[in-house]
Amino acid sequence: MGGFLYEISGLRQVYRTQPVLHIDRLEIPQGAIVGVIGPNGGGKSTLLKLIGFVEKPSAGKILFKGKPAEPFAPQVRLQVTLMPQEPFLLKRTVFNNVAYGLNVRKDTDTIKERVHEALAWVGLNGRDFEGRPWYALSGGEAQRVALASRLILKPEVLLLDEPTANVDAMSSQLIKDAALKARQEWGTTLIIASHDWQWLHEVADSTLHLFKGRLSGTGRETILFGPWEVLGDGRWCKRLPDGQRLPVPQPPDDNSAALIANAVLRAGAGEATSIALPAVSGIVTRLALDNSSGDVLVSISAGGLPFMVALEQQQPRQLGIYPGRTVSVCYNPADVTWV
Amino acid sequence: MDFILQGFLKAIDLLVTGDPETFSAVYATLVVSADSIAASLVLGLPLGFCLGHFDFTGKRLLRLAVDTGLALPTVFIGLVVYAFLTQRGPLGGLGLLFTLPGIAIGLTILALPIVIALSATAVEGMDRKLRVTLISLGADRRQLFLGTVWEARHGILAAGLTAFGRVLTEVGIAMMVGGNIKWQTRTVTTAIALETNKGEFAAGIALGLVLLIIAFSVTLSVSFLRKRY
Repeated sequence: MGGFLYEISGLRQVYRTQPVLHIDRLEIPQGAIVGVIGPNGGGKSTLLKLIGFVEKPSAGKILFKGKPAEPFAPQVRLQVTLMPQEPFLLKRTVFNNVAYGLNVRKDTDTIKERVHEALAWVGLNGRDFEGRPWYALSGGEAQRVALASRLILKPEVLLLDEPTANVDAMSSQLIKDAALKARQEWGTTLIIASHDWQWLHEVADSTLHLFKGRLSGTGRETILFGPWEVLGDGRWCKRLPDGQRLPVPQPPDDNSAALIANAVLRAGAGEATSIALPAVSGIVTRLALDNSSGDVLVSISAGGLPFMVALEQQQPRQLGIYPGRTVSVCYNPADVTWV
Repeated sequence: MDFILQGFLKAIDLLVTGDPETFSAVYATLVVSADSIAASLVLGLPLGFCLGHFDFTGKRLLRLAVDTGLALPTVFIGLVVYAFLTQRGPLGGLGLLFTLPGIAIGLTILALPIVIALSATAVEGMDRKLRVTLISLGADRRQLFLGTVWEARHGILAAGLTAFGRVLTEVGIAMMVGGNIKWQTRTVTTAIALETNKGEFAAGIALGLVLLIIAFSVTLSVSFLRKRY
């Protein structure tokens, strides 16, 4: 990996009068795989459009390889490519869709072979698919053609916005494999926004967590949304659908969300009562390896809400943590921050 | 009813024998239609693209003005063009009154709002993701324009076809600016008006059939292009 590919400072994006993104500082190293996670409307797509140079920010600076860059600038136009959230194909054949980027670059040597190769990367047979019109493809095939039309460019930066949303399992796997192969073969920097946090944590060198347009936390925190309830003694809590209550500090307003960091997991629901920290009982739903830290991320469903706890690699075995196991999640109310 | 049948028979006769007067009117019609459509597409497509693609202050007002242009009465356009091209008018020195280029100017003014309004609607109707896709695949500003126009090609073809239909069947401008001069500025539509005034219904129907054949041929070609691309 080299130096920073992106250096972002004071980035703001406002649509009409609505602020949607606010990032004070962000640096992305060359050749990295960066995951972007967060709830819908958190600003993931906006961030990708800005660093994909398809949109101009309302304010702030984006340096690409140390130089300021903006949409249509030659140094980014031919090196950075974004695949938007929903597959969008030009009203042409598959061949012309995949070849479009090479045509605009006037790089048409052995174009047929390259189109076939790009299609093969995403598991599509060039001979079968090249003549198909844009409307004769399934959702998964269209998404793969959209990815092939980016891969053929051998981009320096590939930005993928929810690449596996709304596609079948096979397409999802092929898309993931093709993206990682691009990084492996050409050193492409991958910046991926996805709800598939398990995959992102597995492959990403680092993860950005965007919430309400701001970078907050590491993506390993539990997020709880309102409504917040005030108890008779003036303390505040979140009441879970199954009746469990989680004490929280007083929220700044009704729309605030609570970020719970450093939650601890106790095997067995009963153990929660023996410690001083507040706890909530739930069932383990998933285990995932976090590539950047080597930790195991445990997803727990408590009262229908998702909680996350990070464990060291050997701990799940020691504690006997597996999907389906009932556990307690303990946390210190002092570790709750409001966003 | 006989005159209608006679009209059909005469139409075939005029076309098969290559009647010079008929073909002079057909030639004049094709020249002014082709020139005015070409001019309105060259001017109107970029304007329609800008109107449909960009957001800017005064866009709504401009759109309103263009839409109003769709309803411009042809005799009014004819009058204004006549006033500009007449010897006493500001462009009188160009000697364009009672000429085919003069008619073409009037028809361009007629077709321009149609091309602008319908192509703006076609571009406006394009998916917002198209812009993101074209830019992210490396298109520069010119390629973005060409790519968007190509994606909106069916809507733009419809705009051109609508404008062509309006121009081809226009009488008022051709009559006022062209003067309906035999062998020179007489178009098929002004010839039909003249023949009908003379009571020569058969000749009028014959010329009307010629107009239909031209319209059919153009529509067929456009339909072929739509299927091919």
